[in-house]
Amino acid sequence: MLFFSFFKTLIDHEVTVELKNDIQIRGVLKSVDQFLNIKLDNIQVVEELKYPHLSAVKNVFIRGSVVRYVHLPQESVDIPLLEDATRREAANQATKAKQG
Amino acid sequence: MSFFNFDQSRHNTAAPGFSQAHDPFASLANREEDAEEIDFEDTYDGLGDQLEETNDAFNDDTFGDDVGEPGPVGKDFDFFGQTAKVANVIEEENVRFNRQPPAAKAPQPVAQQPAYTSTAGPSFAQPSYNYFAQAPARPARTGYEKYHEQPIEDLQVDAALWGVAPKKQPPPPAQPAAPSAPSGGRKMLSLEEVEAQMRAQAKAATPSPAPQHQPHQIPPEQAYYYQQQAQNQPQAHFQAGVVEPLYHQPQGHPMTILQRPHSKPATPAQPPTQPPAIHQHQQPVPPQQPTQILQNPNRLSGDAAKIGLPIHPTPPTGPQAAHQGHRQQGSLPRQPPMILHPAQLAQLSEEEKAAYLEQEAKRAKRNHKIFQMSRDNGIMTPQDKNFITRIQLQQLVAATGNPNEHGTDESLAEDFYYQVHSQIQAGQRQHPSQPLNQFAQTYLFQTGSRQGGMRRHNRGPENHMQRMEQQVQRAVEAAKNKPKNKQLVIEGSLGKISFSNAKTPKPLLNIKRHDSANDVKKAAHYVNGRDKKGELKALELVYTTLMKMEDHDRNMPMAPAEDDQEALAKVFAWTNEGQALNEQLWKALRVQDPDQPDRIHPFMALLSYNKGKRAIPRIFRHTTHEQRLSILTRVLLSLDHLDVVREGQVTTDQIQFNAAMRENIELFMAAVVNTLFSFTNELGLDLVGGILGLVCTRNVDVIAKSKIGASMLTMLLSRAETIKQKLVGNEQEWHNWEMHYNHFFNIIEPSLPYIFPASMNTNEDTYVWQLLAAMGIGASPDQQQRLVIAVKDRVMETVALGKTLPPALAIERLGSVNLFMRSIGLDVELLQ
Repeated sequence: MLFFSFFKTLIDHEVTVELKNDIQIRGVLKSVDQFLNIKLDNIQVVEELKYPHLSAVKNVFIRGSVVRYVHLPQESVDIPLLEDATRREAANQATKAKQG
Repeated sequence: MSFFNFDQSRHNTAAPGFSQAHDPFASLANREEDAEEIDFEDTYDGLGDQLEETNDAFNDDTFGDDVGEPGPVGKDFDFFGQTAKVANVIEEENVRFNRQPPAAKAPQPVAQQPAYTSTAGPSFAQPSYNYFAQAPARPARTGYEKYHEQPIEDLQVDAALWGVAPKKQPPPPAQPAAPSAPSGGRKMLSLEEVEAQMRAQAKAATPSPAPQHQPHQIPPEQAYYYQQQAQNQPQAHFQAGVVEPLYHQPQGHPMTILQRPHSKPATPAQPPTQPPAIHQHQQPVPPQQPTQILQNPNRLSGDAAKIGLPIHPTPPTGPQAAHQGHRQQGSLPRQPPMILHPAQLAQLSEEEKAAYLEQEAKRAKRNHKIFQMSRDNGIMTPQDKNFITRIQLQQLVAATGNPNEHGTDESLAEDFYYQVHSQIQAGQRQHPSQPLNQFAQTYLFQTGSRQGGMRRHNRGPENHMQRMEQQVQRAVEAAKNKPKNKQLVIEGSLGKISFSNAKTPKPLLNIKRHDSANDVKKAAHYVNGRDKKGELKALELVYTTLMKMEDHDRNMPMAPAEDDQEALAKVFAWTNEGQALNEQLWKALRVQDPDQPDRIHPFMALLSYNKGKRAIPRIFRHTTHEQRLSILTRVLLSLDHLDVVREGQVTTDQIQFNAAMRENIELFMAAVVNTLFSFTNELGLDLVGGILGLVCTRNVDVIAKSKIGASMLTMLLSRAETIKQKLVGNEQEWHNWEMHYNHFFNIIEPSLPYIFPASMNTNEDTYVWQLLAAMGIGASPDQQQRLVIAVKDRVMETVALGKTLPPALAIERLGSVNLFMRSIGLDVELLQ
């Protein structure tokens, strides 16, 4: 849930999503769910000349499984907090693994 | 009874296969035998005897100009005008019928009353078949085409289904017959009334009184009615089905009955738009029939056979419709919606007509809507719906976790980043757990409002909400109580099925973790005298402990009341726990470990990592004053061991630090120096002096040549100066301080010319001037002079450079220098 939790804080920020088919889409993150499906608004394809068929598209829903990278806006990431969150997540996983 | 000329034992009408409904007269016959209350002779006026059978041609005269009826009713029979065209066809048929084989006619010549029943009995089934045989030979326009379209075999089937009724009818009570009899003697109308009453009672569960001449019509008609419903053939038959009930209850609620036909959208009500053809062929016959009955019983059977309606569904329609017209006019003139017959429409005034049509249109619309909506009605049973709801709720619970846990530590652990981040970022959210709670609530609320929005369910949206909430509650309970089987092992199978959801994905690898893993002591790998892994682990331990302490702080119990033992105990336990955690942290930091000559101090090793640097502010929040002092002391004591100091030495050549080092230095400044700086500002002069003395034991040259070191020194010196300006501290302290300061000055003096970074163009050297200023303020006049001498070159260079620089930059550069110059009572202006 860490990634879900993290991406939720990026809602309404501009992110660049790189898909596994090499298309990069920049847009405002509108929503994200537990599968990391992503909804982008106001999108723009990074290499528009290469993917002209996307130039008319205004918003997209991206299935989480086809995302390769999400380029984050650095200024909106709280690194120490993210580190702590990661520690907590790891601790949770460890306890869960022990229980299971 | 012999009057049948017919062996009853042979023809068992009660036999199930025999379509009793088609044999209503037999039942009448039976009734005759055991129920003598009603005598046909009593109710029959004998008019039939006076009629001439042969003069059918004059029927039109008889009925077309029906003088017996009151004026307005005459309009009702308007259709005779239209149907006059068909009159000759009817006659033709009469003739045709008379040419039929005698089988049909056999029972013909008998006494009136028996004749009825007898015709009904034997001729009953046959005529219907005869009819079939005849059908193709019929004239093109008999007016009964509609009936042809209706397969008559269905009548048989239907009769089997429904027609049991007539047989079961017990002998009818005599009451209704009595009133009807006298009137029947006088007028045609009353005859119809009798008929109506009969029918009404046949319809009702109570058996009909059955006046003796047409009781036979009741059951078949009933059967036929049902049949219509069953078959849903929205044809002229509706006339029968629709009108009849109305006939019984003229002012009643036709809707209830009408709705059956309405359920088929084809004819919502008897719509005015329906072609008059239907009425044409219906209307001509019916008025005749009753008369014919009176005139000649034989004709009736003949007619029936000819019409192809052995069950007589339609014949009554005519009179009924007509009669209904009377009723409408007479007793219920102000009920336009009751109109079921277009003919009636004509009688209405324009206003009424308009109102009627409007209402009709509305009703049709509504019915259509209902039909549209009800198309999928009943596909799911309430149980199905419940089942689906439960599944959905359970998935919801599984996906979002237990809603009861929202806001607790557990949910914080799951959604830590988001919750804390949004808390930090915005603060618009009053509660960190709001988003998740909202989710569950939103779900509930939506369902509730959706239910409430439906007008039909207005009676209890709240109730529904509650039920929903309870259901959620129960689902949550169930999910909690359910043992968490993550695997399903089907007996006898070799594999397992793992369940997973988004929260706990299916474990693809099953690796056993040994708790004893920590016990296995690995020999520390020292690289360059450092055990990187060990250090990182130690650092993580620090962080873990810090987080525990932060959690612990959040759970601080309320300030206890004076005598609240329980609360006091809680506070006590909390304090104890805090102390334990503090000890744990202190141990993890290893600040007080002894120095080892060949190895970096463990605490300083932590500080060499960026996250170690970042931890300092947090550590300072959770440590005592003494502990902080120890940390400060430790940092200053080991300054020359610190990578940012050792590798951050300024040099005379123009070498720039690499990006990583610059970043490290910046981070150290921001995280560590700032924290220490604010802590130093709480220290007394004695402590500051003592620390300065300690620093002097180290390699001051190296320290001063680094940005970090210089900043730390500035920090100490400026603190002392602040205390001096506040005029606090006693003589002894001042004496000690001066001693330390003099010692420090002596040590650092030779290094002063070399502590400047090479570049003068940027303001990178500001911190040096700050250090010099801090030294200059506290310096004696002699020391000040030495200071000036030591840095004179740099001052002159910078001033000279300032003249070549753009004004803005020059002012900035000179400002830094002036910081130092003013501290010793000089000014850059003097040099220019």
